[in-house]
Amino acid sequence: MNIVLRELRANLKSLVIWCLAMVFLIAVGMVKYAGIEAVGQSANQLLNQMPAVIKSMLGMNELDLTSISGYYGVFFLYFALLGGTHAVMLGALIISKEERDKTADFLFVKPVPRSKIITAKLAAVIINLAVFNLVTYFASVFFVAQYNRGESINDQIAYLMISLFILQLIFAAIGLGISGFAENAKKAASLSTTVFLITFFLSAAIDLYDKIDFLKYFTPFKYFPVVEVMQGSFNTFFLFLSTAIILACTAMVYVTFQKRDIYI
Amino acid sequence: MNVIEINKLTKYYGQARGIVDVSFNVREGEIFGFIGPNGAGKSTTIRTLLALIYPTGGSAKIFGKDCISEGPEIRRQIGYLPSEVYYYDNMRVIELLKYSASFYPDTDNKRIYELAEIMELDLGRKIDDLSYGNKKKVGIVQGLLHRPRLIILDEPTGGLDPLMQHKFFELIREENQNGVTVLFSSHILSEVQRICTRVGIIKEGKMVKVEDMSTLGHTNYKKFKVEMLEPQPVDYFNLAGIGDLSVNGKSASFIFNGDINQIIEKLYAKKISNLIVEEPSLEEIFMHYYEREA
Repeated sequence: MNIVLRELRANLKSLVIWCLAMVFLIAVGMVKYAGIEAVGQSANQLLNQMPAVIKSMLGMNELDLTSISGYYGVFFLYFALLGGTHAVMLGALIISKEERDKTADFLFVKPVPRSKIITAKLAAVIINLAVFNLVTYFASVFFVAQYNRGESINDQIAYLMISLFILQLIFAAIGLGISGFAENAKKAASLSTTVFLITFFLSAAIDLYDKIDFLKYFTPFKYFPVVEVMQGSFNTFFLFLSTAIILACTAMVYVTFQKRDIYI
Repeated sequence: MNVIEINKLTKYYGQARGIVDVSFNVREGEIFGFIGPNGAGKSTTIRTLLALIYPTGGSAKIFGKDCISEGPEIRRQIGYLPSEVYYYDNMRVIELLKYSASFYPDTDNKRIYELAEIMELDLGRKIDDLSYGNKKKVGIVQGLLHRPRLIILDEPTGGLDPLMQHKFFELIREENQNGVTVLFSSHILSEVQRICTRVGIIKEGKMVKVEDMSTLGHTNYKKFKVEMLEPQPVDYFNLAGIGDLSVNGKSASFIFNGDINQIIEKLYAKKISNLIVEEPSLEEIFMHYYEREA
Protein backbone atom coordinates (compact mmCIF):
# COMPACT_ATOMS: atom_id res chain seq x y z
CA MET A 1 0.00 0.00 0.00
CA ASN A 2 2.83 2.37 0.83
CA ILE A 3 4.32 1.78 -2.62
CA VAL A 4 0.97 2.52 -4.32
CA LEU A 5 0.65 5.82 -2.45
CA ARG A 6 4.25 6.69 -3.23
CA GLU A 7 3.69 6.03 -6.94
CA LEU A 8 0.45 8.00 -7.01
CA ARG A 9 2.22 10.97 -5.49
CA ALA A 10 5.21 10.61 -7.81
CA ASN A 11 2.95 10.58 -10.88
CA LEU A 12 0.46 13.18 -9.69
CA LYS A 13 2.01 16.15 -11.44
CA SER A 14 2.25 14.45 -14.79
CA LEU A 15 -1.28 13.08 -14.46
CA VAL A 16 -2.68 16.55 -13.76
CA ILE A 17 -0.92 17.93 -16.85
CA TRP A 18 -2.26 15.11 -19.03
CA CYS A 19 -5.78 15.62 -17.70
CA LEU A 20 -5.62 19.36 -18.30
CA ALA A 21 -4.48 18.66 -21.84
CA MET A 22 -7.50 16.40 -22.38
CA VAL A 23 -9.92 18.97 -20.99
CA PHE A 24 -8.37 21.64 -23.19
CA LEU A 25 -8.56 19.42 -26.27
CA ILE A 26 -12.24 18.69 -25.71
CA ALA A 27 -13.14 22.29 -24.88
CA VAL A 28 -11.41 23.70 -27.97
CA GLY A 29 -12.69 20.90 -30.18
CA MET A 30 -16.28 21.53 -29.21
CA VAL A 31 -15.95 25.26 -29.86
CA LYS A 32 -15.18 24.36 -33.48
CA TYR A 33 -18.35 22.29 -33.63
CA ALA A 34 -20.43 25.45 -33.39
CA GLY A 35 -18.80 26.66 -36.62
CA ILE A 36 -19.27 23.43 -38.54
CA GLU A 37 -22.85 23.03 -37.44
CA ALA A 38 -23.62 26.55 -38.71
CA VAL A 39 -22.21 25.77 -42.16
CA GLY A 40 -24.27 22.58 -42.29
CA GLN A 41 -24.05 20.00 -45.10
CA SER A 42 -21.55 22.00 -47.11
CA ALA A 43 -19.01 21.26 -44.40
CA ASN A 44 -19.40 17.55 -45.11
CA GLN A 45 -18.99 18.16 -48.84
CA LEU A 46 -15.88 20.19 -48.21
CA LEU A 47 -14.42 17.49 -46.06
CA ASN A 48 -15.29 14.82 -48.58
CA GLN A 49 -12.97 16.51 -51.04
CA MET A 50 -10.03 15.95 -48.76
CA PRO A 51 -7.68 13.12 -49.76
CA ALA A 52 -8.47 9.80 -48.14
CA VAL A 53 -5.05 9.66 -46.49
CA ILE A 54 -5.67 12.89 -44.60
CA LYS A 55 -9.17 11.86 -43.66
CA SER A 56 -8.05 8.55 -42.28
CA MET A 57 -5.15 10.10 -40.36
CA LEU A 58 -7.58 12.56 -38.86
CA GLY A 59 -10.07 9.80 -38.06
CA MET A 60 -12.87 11.31 -40.14
CA ASN A 61 -13.99 8.49 -42.42
CA GLU A 62 -17.55 7.35 -42.18
CA LEU A 63 -18.58 10.00 -39.72
CA ASP A 64 -21.17 12.70 -40.29
CA LEU A 65 -19.48 15.75 -38.93
CA THR A 66 -22.59 17.89 -38.81
CA SER A 67 -24.26 15.68 -36.20
CA ILE A 68 -22.94 16.09 -32.71
CA SER A 69 -22.32 12.37 -32.24
CA GLY A 70 -20.48 12.11 -35.56
CA TYR A 71 -18.42 15.14 -34.74
CA TYR A 72 -17.61 13.85 -31.27
CA GLY A 73 -16.66 10.47 -32.75
CA VAL A 74 -13.72 12.12 -34.52
CA PHE A 75 -12.28 12.89 -31.08
CA PHE A 76 -11.80 9.23 -30.35
CA LEU A 77 -8.67 8.92 -32.45
CA TYR A 78 -7.07 11.82 -30.58
CA PHE A 79 -8.14 10.35 -27.25
CA ALA A 80 -6.59 7.06 -28.27
CA LEU A 81 -3.37 8.74 -29.37
CA LEU A 82 -3.00 10.82 -26.23
CA GLY A 83 -4.29 8.18 -23.84
CA GLY A 84 -2.14 5.56 -25.54
CA THR A 85 1.00 7.68 -25.29
CA HIS A 86 0.31 8.39 -21.64
CA ALA A 87 -0.33 4.72 -20.91
CA VAL A 88 2.61 3.27 -22.83
CA MET A 89 5.08 5.68 -21.21
CA LEU A 90 3.62 5.10 -17.76
CA GLY A 91 3.89 1.35 -18.22
CA ALA A 92 7.40 1.49 -19.64
CA LEU A 93 8.78 3.67 -16.87
CA ILE A 94 6.95 2.79 -13.67
CA ILE A 95 9.34 -0.04 -12.84
CA SER A 96 12.38 0.81 -14.93
CA LYS A 97 12.67 4.32 -13.51
CA GLU A 98 13.89 2.82 -10.23
CA GLU A 99 17.03 1.66 -11.99
CA ARG A 100 17.30 4.85 -14.04
CA ASP A 101 17.09 7.04 -10.93
CA LYS A 102 19.27 4.57 -9.05
CA THR A 103 16.64 4.22 -6.36
CA ALA A 104 16.49 0.47 -7.03
CA ASP A 105 19.07 -0.07 -4.28
CA PHE A 106 16.59 1.49 -1.90
CA LEU A 107 13.38 -0.19 -2.97
CA PHE A 108 14.51 -3.68 -3.86
CA VAL A 109 16.40 -4.31 -0.61
CA LYS A 110 13.22 -3.72 1.38
CA PRO A 111 11.63 -6.83 2.89
CA VAL A 112 9.09 -7.13 0.08
CA PRO A 113 9.15 -9.68 -2.74
CA ARG A 114 9.58 -8.19 -6.20
CA SER A 115 6.20 -9.56 -7.24
CA LYS A 116 4.52 -7.40 -4.62
CA ILE A 117 6.36 -4.33 -5.82
CA ILE A 118 5.20 -5.05 -9.38
CA THR A 119 1.62 -5.53 -8.18
CA ALA A 120 1.69 -2.23 -6.27
CA LYS A 121 3.04 -0.40 -9.29
CA LEU A 122 0.47 -2.07 -11.50
CA ALA A 123 -2.27 -0.82 -9.18
CA ALA A 124 -0.86 2.70 -9.38
CA VAL A 125 -0.85 2.48 -13.18
CA ILE A 126 -4.48 1.37 -13.29
CA ILE A 127 -5.54 4.18 -10.95
CA ASN A 128 -3.70 6.73 -13.11
CA LEU A 129 -5.34 5.39 -16.26
CA ALA A 130 -8.77 5.41 -14.63
CA VAL A 131 -8.40 9.02 -13.51
CA PHE A 132 -7.30 10.02 -17.02
CA ASN A 133 -10.31 8.21 -18.44
CA LEU A 134 -12.85 9.63 -15.99
CA VAL A 135 -11.61 13.18 -16.48
CA THR A 136 -11.94 12.68 -20.24
CA TYR A 137 -15.45 11.30 -19.77
CA PHE A 138 -16.71 14.12 -17.55
CA ALA A 139 -15.07 16.80 -19.68
CA SER A 140 -16.74 15.27 -22.75
CA VAL A 141 -20.16 15.09 -21.14
CA PHE A 142 -19.84 18.68 -19.95
CA PHE A 143 -18.60 20.32 -23.14
CA VAL A 144 -20.80 18.27 -25.48
CA ALA A 145 -23.83 19.35 -23.46
CA GLN A 146 -22.90 22.98 -24.07
CA TYR A 147 -23.44 22.58 -27.83
CA ASN A 148 -25.89 19.74 -28.04
CA ARG A 149 -29.37 20.81 -29.01
CA GLY A 150 -30.62 17.33 -29.80
CA GLU A 151 -30.71 14.09 -27.87
CA SER A 152 -28.14 13.35 -25.18
CA ILE A 153 -25.16 11.33 -26.44
CA ASN A 154 -23.85 10.47 -22.97
CA ASP A 155 -24.26 6.75 -23.66
CA GLN A 156 -22.19 6.98 -26.81
CA ILE A 157 -19.54 8.88 -24.89
CA ALA A 158 -19.53 6.16 -22.25
CA TYR A 159 -19.07 3.42 -24.89
CA LEU A 160 -16.13 5.29 -26.34
CA MET A 161 -14.62 5.72 -22.88
CA ILE A 162 -14.85 1.99 -22.23
CA SER A 163 -12.98 1.40 -25.48
CA LEU A 164 -10.46 4.06 -24.56
CA PHE A 165 -9.88 2.44 -21.18
CA ILE A 166 -9.23 -0.94 -22.76
CA LEU A 167 -6.81 0.69 -25.22
CA GLN A 168 -5.05 2.42 -22.32
CA LEU A 169 -4.73 -0.90 -20.51
CA ILE A 170 -3.35 -2.60 -23.62
CA PHE A 171 -0.69 0.03 -24.18
CA ALA A 172 0.26 0.24 -20.49
CA ALA A 173 0.63 -3.55 -20.47
CA ILE A 174 2.79 -3.41 -23.61
CA GLY A 175 5.00 -0.77 -21.97
CA LEU A 176 5.29 -2.85 -18.80
CA GLY A 177 6.03 -6.01 -20.74
CA ILE A 178 8.78 -4.28 -22.69
CA SER A 179 10.30 -2.78 -19.53
CA GLY A 180 10.65 -6.30 -18.12
CA PHE A 181 13.27 -7.31 -20.64
CA ALA A 182 14.61 -3.96 -21.89
CA GLU A 183 18.08 -3.28 -20.52
CA ASN A 184 17.23 0.13 -19.11
CA ALA A 185 14.52 2.75 -18.82
CA LYS A 186 15.67 4.64 -21.88
CA LYS A 187 15.44 1.57 -24.08
CA ALA A 188 12.11 0.59 -22.53
CA ALA A 189 10.66 4.02 -23.28
CA SER A 190 11.96 4.27 -26.83
CA LEU A 191 11.00 0.71 -27.72
CA SER A 192 7.52 1.19 -26.28
CA THR A 193 6.87 4.42 -28.17
CA THR A 194 8.16 2.78 -31.33
CA VAL A 195 5.70 -0.08 -30.95
CA PHE A 196 2.98 2.46 -30.23
CA LEU A 197 3.68 4.51 -33.34
CA ILE A 198 3.97 1.44 -35.54
CA THR A 199 0.52 0.26 -34.44
CA PHE A 200 -0.89 3.71 -35.16
CA PHE A 201 0.58 3.98 -38.67
CA LEU A 202 -0.46 0.42 -39.35
CA SER A 203 -4.06 1.27 -38.54
CA ALA A 204 -3.90 4.29 -40.86
CA ALA A 205 -2.40 2.13 -43.62
CA ILE A 206 -5.16 -0.45 -43.24
CA ASP A 207 -7.73 2.31 -43.81
CA LEU A 208 -6.07 3.09 -47.12
CA TYR A 209 -5.37 -0.36 -48.53
CA ASP A 210 -8.16 -2.90 -48.16
CA LYS A 211 -5.77 -5.67 -49.09
CA ILE A 212 -3.93 -5.51 -45.78
CA ASP A 213 -7.11 -5.63 -43.75
CA PHE A 214 -5.95 -8.89 -42.12
CA LEU A 215 -3.25 -6.90 -40.30
CA LYS A 216 -5.90 -5.29 -38.14
CA TYR A 217 -5.27 -7.90 -35.46
CA PHE A 218 -1.85 -6.38 -34.87
CA THR A 219 -3.01 -2.88 -34.07
CA PRO A 220 -5.21 -2.10 -31.06
CA PHE A 221 -6.33 1.07 -32.86
CA LYS A 222 -8.46 -1.22 -35.05
CA TYR A 223 -10.07 -3.13 -32.18
CA PHE A 224 -12.73 -0.50 -31.50
CA PRO A 225 -14.23 0.95 -34.72
CA VAL A 226 -15.88 4.22 -33.68
CA VAL A 227 -19.13 3.80 -35.62
CA GLU A 228 -19.81 0.37 -34.17
CA VAL A 229 -18.74 1.26 -30.65
CA MET A 230 -21.01 4.29 -30.59
CA GLN A 231 -23.91 2.00 -31.29
CA GLY A 232 -22.93 0.06 -28.22
CA SER A 233 -21.63 -2.92 -30.14
CA PHE A 234 -18.28 -4.43 -29.16
CA ASN A 235 -16.62 -7.15 -31.18
CA THR A 236 -16.27 -10.17 -28.89
CA PHE A 237 -13.17 -11.41 -30.62
CA PHE A 238 -11.36 -8.11 -30.19
CA LEU A 239 -12.40 -7.94 -26.54
CA PHE A 240 -10.94 -11.37 -26.10
CA LEU A 241 -7.78 -10.40 -27.98
CA SER A 242 -7.41 -7.26 -25.83
CA THR A 243 -7.70 -9.28 -22.64
CA ALA A 244 -5.18 -11.78 -23.93
CA ILE A 245 -2.64 -9.05 -24.76
CA ILE A 246 -3.10 -7.38 -21.39
CA LEU A 247 -2.71 -10.62 -19.47
CA ALA A 248 0.22 -11.89 -21.53
CA CYS A 249 2.20 -8.66 -21.26
CA THR A 250 1.52 -8.36 -17.53
CA ALA A 251 2.49 -11.97 -16.94
CA MET A 252 5.67 -11.32 -18.92
CA VAL A 253 6.79 -8.50 -16.64
CA TYR A 254 6.20 -10.66 -13.55
CA VAL A 255 8.29 -13.46 -15.01
CA THR A 256 11.14 -11.46 -16.52
CA PHE A 257 11.49 -8.84 -13.82
CA GLN A 258 11.64 -11.35 -11.00
CA LYS A 259 14.49 -13.20 -12.63
CA ARG A 260 16.65 -10.34 -13.73
CA ASP A 261 19.64 -8.76 -12.05
CA ILE A 262 19.17 -5.22 -10.84
CA TYR A 263 21.95 -2.79 -11.61
CA ILE A 264 22.25 0.86 -10.87
CA MET B 1 26.73 -19.02 15.31
CA ASN B 2 27.18 -17.72 11.79
CA VAL B 3 24.99 -14.86 10.63
CA ILE B 4 26.27 -15.01 7.07
CA GLU B 5 27.39 -18.24 5.41
CA ILE B 6 28.68 -17.91 1.89
CA ASN B 7 29.45 -21.12 0.07
CA LYS B 8 31.29 -21.13 -3.27
CA LEU B 9 29.33 -18.13 -4.44
CA THR B 10 29.97 -17.40 -8.11
CA LYS B 11 28.68 -14.67 -10.34
CA TYR B 12 29.47 -14.09 -13.97
CA TYR B 13 28.10 -11.12 -15.88
CA GLY B 14 27.81 -12.83 -19.22
CA GLN B 15 31.45 -13.69 -19.90
CA ALA B 16 32.81 -11.15 -17.44
CA ARG B 17 33.98 -12.31 -14.05
CA GLY B 18 32.17 -11.00 -11.00
CA ILE B 19 33.19 -13.37 -8.23
CA VAL B 20 34.41 -16.97 -8.35
CA ASP B 21 33.91 -19.55 -5.58
CA VAL B 22 33.76 -17.03 -2.78
CA SER B 23 33.31 -18.70 0.61
CA PHE B 24 33.41 -17.17 4.06
CA ASN B 25 31.34 -16.88 7.21
CA VAL B 26 30.48 -13.92 9.37
CA ARG B 27 29.85 -14.79 13.01
CA GLU B 28 27.17 -13.31 15.15
CA GLY B 29 28.22 -10.12 16.93
CA GLU B 30 31.41 -9.43 14.99
CA ILE B 31 32.41 -6.60 12.72
CA PHE B 32 33.71 -8.31 9.63
CA GLY B 33 35.83 -6.26 7.30
CA PHE B 34 35.57 -7.09 3.63
CA ILE B 35 38.47 -5.53 1.85
CA GLY B 36 39.81 -5.53 -1.64
CA PRO B 37 40.73 -3.13 -4.42
CA ASN B 38 38.05 -1.56 -6.58
CA GLY B 39 36.51 -4.08 -8.92
CA ALA B 40 37.57 -7.06 -6.82
CA GLY B 41 33.97 -8.22 -6.30
CA LYS B 42 32.95 -6.71 -2.96
CA SER B 43 29.80 -5.08 -4.26
CA THR B 44 28.95 -8.13 -6.36
CA THR B 45 29.07 -10.28 -3.23
CA ILE B 46 26.96 -7.83 -1.24
CA ARG B 47 24.40 -7.34 -4.01
CA THR B 48 24.01 -11.11 -4.21
CA LEU B 49 23.46 -11.31 -0.45
CA LEU B 50 20.65 -8.79 -0.90
CA ALA B 51 19.19 -10.68 -3.88
CA LEU B 52 19.57 -7.66 -6.12
CA ILE B 53 21.48 -9.96 -8.43
CA TYR B 54 21.29 -13.72 -8.75
CA PRO B 55 24.32 -15.98 -8.36
CA THR B 56 25.54 -18.11 -11.25
CA GLY B 57 26.66 -20.76 -8.77
CA GLY B 58 27.01 -21.51 -5.09
CA SER B 59 24.78 -20.22 -2.35
CA ALA B 60 24.59 -17.80 0.52
CA LYS B 61 22.65 -17.95 3.75
CA ILE B 62 21.81 -15.22 6.20
CA PHE B 63 20.36 -16.14 9.60
CA GLY B 64 20.42 -19.70 8.27
CA LYS B 65 18.02 -18.89 5.44
CA ASP B 66 18.71 -18.83 1.73
CA CYS B 67 19.37 -15.31 0.46
CA ILE B 68 17.41 -15.72 -2.73
CA SER B 69 14.41 -17.88 -1.87
CA GLU B 70 13.84 -16.37 1.57
CA GLY B 71 15.16 -12.94 0.70
CA PRO B 72 12.19 -10.80 1.71
CA GLU B 73 11.99 -12.36 5.15
CA ILE B 74 15.73 -12.03 5.75
CA ARG B 75 15.82 -8.42 4.60
CA ARG B 76 13.52 -7.41 7.46
CA GLN B 77 16.55 -7.78 9.74
CA ILE B 78 19.12 -6.20 7.44
CA GLY B 79 20.21 -2.59 7.24
CA TYR B 80 22.04 -1.74 4.03
CA LEU B 81 24.07 1.31 3.18
CA PRO B 82 25.07 1.31 -0.50
CA SER B 83 28.33 2.84 -1.64
CA GLU B 84 26.47 5.45 -3.65
CA VAL B 85 23.26 6.75 -2.21
CA TYR B 86 20.42 7.86 -4.44
CA TYR B 87 16.90 8.66 -3.33
CA TYR B 88 13.70 10.07 -4.76
CA ASP B 89 14.73 13.63 -5.49
CA ASN B 90 11.46 15.39 -4.90
CA MET B 91 10.96 13.96 -1.42
CA ARG B 92 11.91 15.59 1.84
CA VAL B 93 14.34 13.74 4.08
CA ILE B 94 11.71 12.97 6.71
CA GLU B 95 9.25 11.72 4.06
CA LEU B 96 11.86 9.39 2.66
CA LEU B 97 12.78 8.06 6.09
CA LYS B 98 9.15 7.48 7.01
CA TYR B 99 8.60 5.79 3.66
CA SER B 100 11.56 3.55 4.41
CA ALA B 101 10.22 2.83 7.91
CA SER B 102 6.83 1.88 6.46
CA PHE B 103 8.38 -1.27 4.99
CA TYR B 104 9.29 -2.64 8.41
CA PRO B 105 6.61 -3.69 10.86
CA ASP B 106 6.78 -2.14 14.33
CA THR B 107 9.27 0.60 13.67
CA ASP B 108 8.86 3.66 15.81
CA ASN B 109 9.64 7.06 14.36
CA LYS B 110 11.49 8.07 17.52
CA ARG B 111 14.52 6.22 16.27
CA ILE B 112 14.58 8.40 13.12
CA TYR B 113 14.85 11.58 15.17
CA GLU B 114 17.45 10.01 17.46
CA LEU B 115 19.69 9.00 14.57
CA ALA B 116 19.17 12.25 12.71
CA GLU B 117 20.33 14.14 15.77
CA ILE B 118 23.47 12.04 16.12
CA MET B 119 24.32 12.49 12.44
CA GLU B 120 23.29 16.18 12.47
CA LEU B 121 20.86 15.64 9.64
CA ASP B 122 18.30 18.29 8.74
CA LEU B 123 15.05 16.35 8.23
CA GLY B 124 13.11 19.14 6.59
CA ARG B 125 15.26 19.54 3.51
CA LYS B 126 14.62 18.20 0.05
CA ILE B 127 16.75 15.25 -1.02
CA ASP B 128 17.48 17.16 -4.21
CA ASP B 129 19.23 19.97 -2.34
CA LEU B 130 21.49 17.75 -0.25
CA SER B 131 25.23 17.49 -0.74
CA TYR B 132 26.76 14.08 -1.31
CA GLY B 133 27.86 13.83 2.31
CA ASN B 134 24.40 14.72 3.56
CA LYS B 135 22.81 12.13 1.29
CA LYS B 136 25.18 9.62 2.83
CA LYS B 137 23.85 10.62 6.25
CA VAL B 138 20.32 9.96 5.02
CA GLY B 139 21.58 6.57 3.93
CA ILE B 140 23.02 5.85 7.35
CA VAL B 141 19.81 6.79 9.17
CA GLN B 142 17.79 4.88 6.59
CA GLY B 143 19.95 1.79 7.11
CA LEU B 144 19.67 1.82 10.89
CA LEU B 145 16.18 3.10 11.64
CA HIS B 146 14.51 -0.31 11.78
CA ARG B 147 17.05 -1.67 14.30
CA PRO B 148 18.46 -4.39 12.03
CA ARG B 149 20.31 -7.42 13.40
CA LEU B 150 22.76 -7.30 10.51
CA ILE B 151 24.21 -4.16 9.02
CA ILE B 152 25.79 -4.31 5.57
CA LEU B 153 27.97 -1.33 4.71
CA ASP B 154 29.40 -0.95 1.22
CA GLU B 155 32.22 1.60 1.32
CA PRO B 156 30.26 3.73 3.74
CA THR B 157 32.64 6.55 4.57
CA GLY B 158 33.05 8.20 1.16
CA GLY B 159 31.80 11.78 1.27
CA LEU B 160 31.78 12.00 5.06
CA ASP B 161 34.15 14.47 6.68
CA PRO B 162 36.50 13.10 9.38
CA LEU B 163 34.27 14.29 12.22
CA MET B 164 31.23 12.57 10.72
CA GLN B 165 33.28 9.46 9.99
CA HIS B 166 34.16 9.37 13.66
CA LYS B 167 30.52 9.72 14.72
CA PHE B 168 29.55 7.09 12.21
CA PHE B 169 32.11 4.62 13.54
CA GLU B 170 30.90 5.33 17.07
CA LEU B 171 27.36 4.61 15.99
CA ILE B 172 28.36 1.34 14.35
CA ARG B 173 30.40 0.31 17.39
CA GLU B 174 27.46 1.08 19.65
CA GLU B 175 25.13 -1.02 17.51
CA ASN B 176 27.71 -3.78 17.55
CA GLN B 177 27.89 -3.68 21.35
CA ASN B 178 24.14 -4.25 21.36
CA GLY B 179 24.73 -7.47 19.50
CA VAL B 180 24.38 -6.33 15.91
CA THR B 181 26.58 -8.06 13.34
CA VAL B 182 28.30 -5.86 10.78
CA LEU B 183 29.67 -6.60 7.32
CA PHE B 184 31.88 -3.69 6.41
CA SER B 185 33.26 -3.45 2.90
CA SER B 186 36.06 -1.06 2.11
CA HIS B 187 39.14 -0.56 0.01
CA ILE B 188 40.84 1.48 2.73
CA LEU B 189 42.88 -0.76 5.02
CA SER B 190 43.27 1.74 7.87
CA GLU B 191 39.49 2.19 8.04
CA VAL B 192 39.01 -1.54 8.39
CA GLN B 193 41.81 -1.79 10.93
CA ARG B 194 40.05 0.84 13.00
CA ILE B 195 36.81 -1.01 13.55
CA CYS B 196 36.86 -4.63 12.46
CA THR B 197 37.50 -7.79 14.41
CA ARG B 198 38.09 -10.02 11.40
CA VAL B 199 38.78 -9.34 7.77
CA GLY B 200 38.27 -11.14 4.52
CA ILE B 201 40.44 -10.11 1.62
CA ILE B 202 39.13 -10.40 -1.91
CA LYS B 203 41.11 -9.92 -5.07
CA GLU B 204 40.06 -10.34 -8.69
CA GLY B 205 36.85 -12.05 -7.68
CA LYS B 206 38.46 -14.61 -5.36
CA MET B 207 38.81 -14.72 -1.60
CA VAL B 208 42.48 -14.55 -0.78
CA LYS B 209 42.42 -14.82 2.95
CA VAL B 210 40.28 -14.48 6.06
CA GLU B 211 42.25 -13.30 9.05
CA ASP B 212 41.78 -12.07 12.59
CA MET B 213 42.44 -8.40 12.84
CA SER B 214 44.93 -9.08 15.62
CA THR B 215 47.10 -10.98 13.12
CA LEU B 216 46.84 -8.34 10.48
CA GLY B 217 47.24 -5.64 13.10
CA HIS B 218 50.91 -6.54 13.60
CA THR B 219 51.70 -5.94 10.03
CA ASN B 220 53.03 -2.53 9.35
CA TYR B 221 53.37 -1.81 5.67
CA LYS B 222 55.35 1.25 4.67
CA LYS B 223 56.27 2.49 1.29
CA PHE B 224 59.77 3.94 0.94
CA LYS B 225 61.23 6.16 -1.75
CA VAL B 226 64.91 6.91 -1.24
CA GLU B 227 67.30 9.15 -3.17
CA MET B 228 70.96 8.36 -2.45
CA LEU B 229 73.99 10.51 -3.00
CA GLU B 230 75.89 7.56 -4.53
CA PRO B 231 74.53 4.79 -6.76
CA GLN B 232 74.00 1.60 -4.76
CA PRO B 233 74.17 -2.08 -5.68
CA VAL B 234 70.82 -3.42 -6.79
CA ASP B 235 70.53 -5.79 -3.82
CA TYR B 236 71.42 -3.24 -1.14
CA PHE B 237 67.89 -3.15 0.29
CA ASN B 238 67.17 -6.79 -0.33
CA LEU B 239 65.89 -7.83 3.11
CA ALA B 240 63.18 -10.21 4.19
CA GLY B 241 59.87 -8.33 4.13
CA ILE B 242 60.75 -6.21 1.11
CA GLY B 243 58.40 -6.08 -1.83
CA ASP B 244 58.15 -4.22 -5.09
CA LEU B 245 61.84 -3.29 -4.96
CA SER B 246 63.02 -1.16 -7.82
CA VAL B 247 66.50 0.36 -7.92
CA ASN B 248 67.44 2.87 -10.55
CA GLY B 249 70.91 4.30 -10.09
CA LYS B 250 70.75 6.53 -7.03
CA SER B 251 67.07 6.10 -6.38
CA ALA B 252 65.25 3.15 -4.90
CA SER B 253 61.66 2.42 -3.96
CA PHE B 254 60.06 -0.52 -2.16
CA ILE B 255 57.36 -1.60 0.23
CA PHE B 256 58.47 -2.99 3.56
CA ASN B 257 56.69 -5.02 6.19
CA GLY B 258 58.63 -5.81 9.32
CA ASP B 259 60.90 -4.22 11.90
CA ILE B 260 61.40 -0.72 10.63
CA ASN B 261 64.75 -0.42 12.43
CA GLN B 262 66.30 -2.70 9.84
CA ILE B 263 65.59 -0.11 7.17
CA ILE B 264 66.76 2.73 9.37
CA GLU B 265 70.08 0.94 9.86
CA LYS B 266 70.48 0.52 6.13
CA LEU B 267 69.70 4.16 5.53
CA TYR B 268 71.94 5.36 8.34
CA ALA B 269 74.95 3.67 6.81
CA LYS B 270 74.68 5.73 3.62
CA LYS B 271 74.31 9.37 2.71
CA ILE B 272 70.85 10.08 1.40
CA SER B 273 69.52 13.19 -0.28
CA ASN B 274 65.81 12.58 0.03
CA LEU B 275 63.44 10.19 1.77
CA ILE B 276 59.70 9.69 1.51
CA VAL B 277 57.88 7.21 3.74
CA GLU B 278 54.17 6.72 3.16
CA GLU B 279 51.24 4.34 3.68
CA PRO B 280 51.01 2.06 0.68
CA SER B 281 47.62 1.68 -0.95
CA LEU B 282 45.76 -1.53 -0.41
CA GLU B 283 46.32 -2.42 -4.05
CA GLU B 284 50.08 -2.21 -3.57
CA ILE B 285 49.96 -4.39 -0.50
CA PHE B 286 47.86 -6.97 -2.25
CA MET B 287 50.00 -6.84 -5.32
CA HIS B 288 53.14 -7.83 -3.48
CA TYR B 289 52.10 -9.79 -0.45
CA TYR B 290 49.04 -11.70 -1.45
CA GLU B 291 49.82 -12.40 -5.06
CA ARG B 292 51.37 -15.80 -4.47
CA GLU B 293 48.63 -16.88 -2.12
CA ALA B 294 45.89 -15.97 -4.55
